[in-house]
Amino acid sequence: MLTVAALGQPAVAARLRGRGLRLQTGPFITCIRSASPALAAALGRMYADYPVMGEDISADFDVLLRRPRGLRRLVKPQVYFHYDGMEPFQPLPLAQIYPMFEWAMNWCVSSHAHSWLVIHAAVVEKEGAAVILPAPPGSGKSTLCAALVARGWRLLSDELTLVRLDDGRIDPVPRPVSLKNGSIDVIRAWAPHAHLSPPVTDTLKGTVAHMRAPADSVARAREPATPAWIVFPQWRAGAPAEMVPVPQARAHLRLAENAFNYSLLGAAGFASAARLIEQTRTFDFSYGALDDAMAVFEALLAQRR
Amino acid sequence: MTSSPIWRLAPGQRLQHRCWEGECVLYNDLSGDTHLLDEFALAVLQQLAGAPQPVAALAAAFESEGATPEDDAALFDTILADLAALHLIDTLPC
Repeated sequence: MLTVAALGQPAVAARLRGRGLRLQTGPFITCIRSASPALAAALGRMYADYPVMGEDISADFDVLLRRPRGLRRLVKPQVYFHYDGMEPFQPLPLAQIYPMFEWAMNWCVSSHAHSWLVIHAAVVEKEGAAVILPAPPGSGKSTLCAALVARGWRLLSDELTLVRLDDGRIDPVPRPVSLKNGSIDVIRAWAPHAHLSPPVTDTLKGTVAHMRAPADSVARAREPATPAWIVFPQWRAGAPAEMVPVPQARAHLRLAENAFNYSLLGAAGFASAARLIEQTRTFDFSYGALDDAMAVFEALLAQRR
Repeated sequence: MTSSPIWRLAPGQRLQHRCWEGECVLYNDLSGDTHLLDEFALAVLQQLAGAPQPVAALAAAFESEGATPEDDAALFDTILADLAALHLIDTLPC
């Protein structure tokens, strides 16, 4: 299997400039085109272990990140994102090209992958049991996800939980974990060996950096997981780690609120969410320290053994 | 003289539900909405799905020991108003 690392940096940049780099992330193949050396370097750094498909393979998503033409290239240079010829987003400063790529990849899946119930949630797995972490921005979801992954949980996704409509299992789509502001230093201290991208300042989300997905999670990207828990996390400074059961009907509604395509899927979305609720135990989880949180998740796992 | 309204399930909708520990989620394919109901409200809906009926018939179907007819009428008025506000039920036109 050809990977980004095996292909090598010059060839990665050449494919990006030419007919496109066909990158496989979980069930999706994305054809990425860009003349930006910064994006080529970022992909080489953050996607080294990911499979690269041949140019004859058709892609699920066709994306282009380009600099503007004319004088706009020189004055406060920006980057534009195109999807199938459309421009769904406003351009961003060129220095934000890598975060923009990650956000655009999330958008591709959340806007188009309607063969799954797509929940805005991190999801990690250990010993065959997956924990889904749905939460709005600022809840500490990605920080918790990165911390669990650094302690041996398999990363399925830090942002997009793909629930199969036919059997309720979760298909992984492991990609770099997005970290924001204070959480960057928290994870640096928590996992000194984790590979983080250089922080990018002054984005719409503040300062952002990404943590590379572990090679094992990437290698197991075609291995689905069985959901065992849905945990709604909320970080609070100084709070003790506490799990409080959420009544299932209320958890169903909260899951629906966090799904990108629940309404679009109609009755299938309802049935899929209801099955997920029936398959799992549901909790609110507040925490203030990652060490305490790890102990709680290990205890959950121990109860299943 | 005014007659008691006949309540019915709003036409054109197919409802699915799941209940856990006394609470239910109900999906209405016509509106695309999912509602949180208690089991009693769901039972009232199911009773109306069987046939349109007035409050008196509903009260008889759910007859409870010790409750006065006035108590039952007030309870059903509240539940029916809530279900109507969710566009799940309406009254038959005269």
